[in-house]
Amino acid sequence: MDLRSNDVLNHLFNALVNLESTKQYCEEASNKGISIQEITSIVSKALEIVGKKYEEGEYFLSELIVAGESAKECFEVYENKVQKGEIKFIGRVVVGTVEGDLHDIGKNLFIMFLRSMGFEVIDLGVDVPPQKFIEAVKQYKPDIVGMSALLTTTLPSIEKTIKLLVEHGFRDKVKVIIGGAAVSKEFVEAVGADAGGVDAYEGALICRKWVEEKKNER
Amino acid sequence: MVLSHRERLLRVFEFKGVDRVPNYEFGYWRETIERWHGEGLPLHIRTSRDIERYLGLEGLESLEGLPIVIGIWPPSREVVLKEEEGKEIVADGLGGIYVRKKDASATPHYIRYPIKDREDWKKIKKFLDPETPGRIPLSWSDVAEKYKDRDYPLRVFVGSLCGWLRDWMGIERLSKAFYRESDWVEEMIDTIADMVVNVLDKVLRDVVPDLAWFWEDIAYSKGPMISPKLFEKYVVPRYKKITKILNAYGVKIVVVDCDGDIEPLVPGWLEAGVNCMFPLEARYVDPYKLRKEFGERILLMGGVDKRALVEGGKAVDKELERLTPLLEEGGYIPTVDHRVPPEVSFKNYMYYIGKKKEWLEKHHP
Repeated sequence: MDLRSNDVLNHLFNALVNLESTKQYCEEASNKGISIQEITSIVSKALEIVGKKYEEGEYFLSELIVAGESAKECFEVYENKVQKGEIKFIGRVVVGTVEGDLHDIGKNLFIMFLRSMGFEVIDLGVDVPPQKFIEAVKQYKPDIVGMSALLTTTLPSIEKTIKLLVEHGFRDKVKVIIGGAAVSKEFVEAVGADAGGVDAYEGALICRKWVEEKKNER
Repeated sequence: MVLSHRERLLRVFEFKGVDRVPNYEFGYWRETIERWHGEGLPLHIRTSRDIERYLGLEGLESLEGLPIVIGIWPPSREVVLKEEEGKEIVADGLGGIYVRKKDASATPHYIRYPIKDREDWKKIKKFLDPETPGRIPLSWSDVAEKYKDRDYPLRVFVGSLCGWLRDWMGIERLSKAFYRESDWVEEMIDTIADMVVNVLDKVLRDVVPDLAWFWEDIAYSKGPMISPKLFEKYVVPRYKKITKILNAYGVKIVVVDCDGDIEPLVPGWLEAGVNCMFPLEARYVDPYKLRKEFGERILLMGGVDKRALVEGGKAVDKELERLTPLLEEGGYIPTVDHRVPPEVSFKNYMYYIGKKKEWLEKHHP
């Protein structure tokens, strides 16, 4: 394939929106010297369309997953450039599924949308104890902490983590967003999180809004 | 009018008059039964079936099931590989490894699914051979004779076309396979459907059950895990293979057990001949909306909001009142919309059961 740069980016965009493989277009883009920033921008725009299609009921969880896979193909092609530090991230997020809960699909989708928007994401995995969130905040100094809980029985872990953030003096240094089937808007308010009870795409949009507001305040 | 249990079930689902609607419930979590043992449930009552008998319910655990094997056969044997605090790492016998909590009813979390690729599938496929001995009792003619003049309903489990694949592969791998390797997905669903049809063909000529039962669990709070587009293209045609043989032998009630918001999948199921939706989780599904949209084409089972039982008292009364028009119309059998969770006290549950019995006597088609 020998395409002009704009064509490559258009093909990449369409492939992502239509849930096709993006590997060949990303390789072509890399060969043409298209920057990771341009790729991230295209991926982000395409995943916004995917997110809207999900909200409008055209796409479902299966499509979000496949879109995530297509986006991942892109970033894998550019992986060595990430390791060289060529990417400028818009913010940093620490994400995990809380202690006692092993579900990760929602968390993984949230991470996919965050990365597509240009965030650096530290994925703590599942069954993450409150203390591990605190250690991650100390180590990585994120802008945002994201916690996921599918089971209502694990909601106390969220509350405990937020309390620990307060005790360690981190609460006013990070935004907290919580999600998962167990999280209601009432719970978000009750535990003092900054946002939550929304789906993965909307959650990522909220995170982007936060970092943009933070940037404008400086 | 005094009807047998079987007549009640069949007439309700034919929108005909009955003496009362069958009194079924979905079941109870282990933690619920443990809680209730401390609140008055006799200690010798240990299982959902025990509770049904204790309370005089007619099902669903107590419903007689046709004793054939649809699914993985011979059964896989689990081995606990490692024990850690509060949890176990388990090999499922099919190539998968999962983590499960000790002493809890949570869904196991796979760290390695049984099927990653086509090679793994080839190994699993051998367990779906319809000709493997033991799927049908060797004394089949005696078994068939038993059901000849029954006055109770007979249920036949007819498998799972999506839920099993989700269990064996994970929704992420399955979703990718639908888009990147659809031929493989079609082959897997065809294998399952053909196994079901093959076994049914051998038994339905001798025994005609009253209802068939699919299990799927491919929906959640936000809707189906797989899109209706994929569902209708790849799965509905395979359901039709199974419902065709069921209908040919006179099995008219075909239930699908699927939690979550199922509404986008209902048209596909109805087109496929799957006509009874269960358990209608009240938080996500409006049975009145389904009845309005699909009329008497759709049968309904479930729908009693478990959250009303958590609250108890007037909340239960209000919930039963909400469902009264649906009950009186026919085509609907109420149950709590999932297994009763441990947040429900024994006192509240007994209140609900007492009120439900009166309600079923008073209101019916």
